[in-house]
Amino acid sequence: MSYTLKGRIHSRLAAVLVALVAACVIAAVVREWWPFELVAVMAAVGVALDLAWHRLLPYQPAWSMLPLGAVELGVLMAVVFGFGLRAPLRGALLLFAVAWLAAVVLAQAVFPSLRLGYAEDGGELGRFGGVAAAAIALVLFGAGATAYAQRPPVVHLSAGVHQGPLVITRREVLQGDRGAVVRGGIVVAHDDVEIKDVTVVGGVNGITVDNVHGTVLDGVSVSGAKLDGIHVRLADVVIKNCTVDMLGNELGQGIDISFNMDMGMSMVEGCTILGGMDGITTHSSMTEIVDNQVSHTQQQAISIDEMSMETAKDNEIRDALGVALFCNDRSMCMFEHNTVVGTQSDSADGDRSRRGFGVLASFLSQAELHDNALASNPVPFGAITNSEISREQK
Amino acid sequence: MSVAIVGSGLAGFTVYQTLRRSLEPDQIAVFGTDDDPAASFRRRAAAIRQREMRSESDGHCLATTFPGLSFRSVRRRRSLAPLVDSVRDRYHPSVDEFLDHVEEVRGRSGWDRSVQLGRVERVASVGGGFELDGRGVFRHVLLAPGHPGLHVPADLRNDPRVVHAYEPHDYASTVTVVGAGLAAATEWANALDAGAEVVSVRRREPVRRPLNVPRHYFSRRGLADYHRLSAVERTARLQTLLAPSFPPGRRFDERLTAAAADGRFHVEASPNGSEQVICATGFLRGFLHDPLLVHLVDEHVLETEAGWIVLAPDSTVPGLTDGTRTLALAGVSAQWAFPAADTLAGARYAGRRFLQRIRSCRTR
Repeated sequence: MSYTLKGRIHSRLAAVLVALVAACVIAAVVREWWPFELVAVMAAVGVALDLAWHRLLPYQPAWSMLPLGAVELGVLMAVVFGFGLRAPLRGALLLFAVAWLAAVVLAQAVFPSLRLGYAEDGGELGRFGGVAAAAIALVLFGAGATAYAQRPPVVHLSAGVHQGPLVITRREVLQGDRGAVVRGGIVVAHDDVEIKDVTVVGGVNGITVDNVHGTVLDGVSVSGAKLDGIHVRLADVVIKNCTVDMLGNELGQGIDISFNMDMGMSMVEGCTILGGMDGITTHSSMTEIVDNQVSHTQQQAISIDEMSMETAKDNEIRDALGVALFCNDRSMCMFEHNTVVGTQSDSADGDRSRRGFGVLASFLSQAELHDNALASNPVPFGAITNSEISREQK
Repeated sequence: MSVAIVGSGLAGFTVYQTLRRSLEPDQIAVFGTDDDPAASFRRRAAAIRQREMRSESDGHCLATTFPGLSFRSVRRRRSLAPLVDSVRDRYHPSVDEFLDHVEEVRGRSGWDRSVQLGRVERVASVGGGFELDGRGVFRHVLLAPGHPGLHVPADLRNDPRVVHAYEPHDYASTVTVVGAGLAAATEWANALDAGAEVVSVRRREPVRRPLNVPRHYFSRRGLADYHRLSAVERTARLQTLLAPSFPPGRRFDERLTAAAADGRFHVEASPNGSEQVICATGFLRGFLHDPLLVHLVDEHVLETEAGWIVLAPDSTVPGLTDGTRTLALAGVSAQWAFPAADTLAGARYAGRRFLQRIRSCRTR
């Protein structure tokens, strides 16, 4: 068919309308907003590409819907990942497939059978095109407005010391003003809680996140916890730009994320951890550990344990006692671009697994090493108890 | 009855199918010399031994393009191949499939109830519409008189060896084919298949394209620019677009290449001593060859340009069309509005706009 530009956009919007109906259904089922975000991006990408196709294709044969669809899918996924939209891959592909199939069926069969002169009009749909555009705008605007209205309330924690423990039992953003300190710890006990720029002093754990979804800890500072600095169980979490001071605490972990393998990816990024038994430790988890500074730990600086599948990259580890990067207990670990310096031996009592390993894989684990800088470690790397280390050094 | 179609060929028939979306058979009068809409086409296709249509899946007579003939073919052949071919722009219905389709549509559309046999030679503008040669006054009239006759170059008219491609003929052992369009290409292949030695005489190298005109001229994309052209520019564009052409592909190329290698096919400047000269030179062009249109132009002082009646983009005749009545053209005489007017898509184009005019008429 030889589309006019208006016809392309009309036909596109008609297909988007079908996808939007599917998005409404999916959103109602999963109770999330990403289907609407995805449809909005799909519409924007589609219309943008239509402008390009219009110049390039005076005539568009039916078969070209396959390669053009593939290009659109590629651009769409690039935008989704590039802008960090929280759409699951399978859901995104499903929604795109609905939109693409709708476009094919509408353009090749439905409109040509319902509208006199659909092809002759270059795909233009007259008033229906305008109605489709208005309906899409209305639904997306409505969804956006609802999402905006449902944003969690922002609670400002004023400067000064607040006695804890602070238990958060509703969806909210806890925004600490400069100098806001909670003494006695914070417990996150509800989904979708975000804690920003709060200093926590003391507590059994500095921050406890237990059995909830969607927690974000951004810019928190923890010190003086009796057990763990940040303690996460059965919860997915994003922790970024944090500081955890565990100096003097030889039993607690800086950050402990455990038993959330079935809850998707978690993330620890941009944190500074000082001291503690382990700096960052995970058990049965899928966590990305990226761009952190860990030092002066007593057991392991970063420990990936108990069947975890994880990547630790761009971390800087200094002066760990015994082991710096540890991959243990049937875990699969990828260590990339980490810097490990000055690990110290802790084998005075004859424990050969604590001889000051830069990287240690233990008990049926597999560790892959890519471009790590290991310096001044008594044993740069090693594998024990049926474990493997593979190295790729550029 | 307020609606009439003059012309009972494929163009009139296709317009009729569009009108049937809103009108009953007894609300439409069709005037023509044959109640079989495919009669002329069938004769010509048989004469030139055409087996396959140049048109694609949407080359049918129905008002909407889907379902097309490929879809119909899928059901008949119980194979998805026609649909796959259609998606690849490779599907061309056979002439038999097309004729079956015409027959089927004719049967169910009430065409025979609307057809009144007889030639209309004059259309006169009168109060409340148009008077058709004593057959009554109709508020909305569409003229689809078809091709005015076969074209034979002047220098060959008295040559006893000459036969037109669209007239029944066999092949001599040496054949000159004059022309460069699809009919000529078909005749090259036919004559070679019959064992003849073939000479191609043509004024220009053939244009190779799948359809009669570039595809974007079948949609608003190409037509919007076309309709903006001045009369002089549009005449020049039409002359370019209507130059003889035939589809690219192996169907012709392989046979011609092989025959040329064997010395059985060559191109010359003028007919030589061949036993037979086949004029694959199409039809007479321009309204001046059609008495109905000549009278119409003369009696209503219609604007013309280089043999074409000047039409509005919706294929109606300006000056004889307003909010209360419509005079429209379809088929080859409507090329001023739609360059591929002599195709089924062209007839659909005119028919749709004719129906819009009827629907919007205050005194319908």
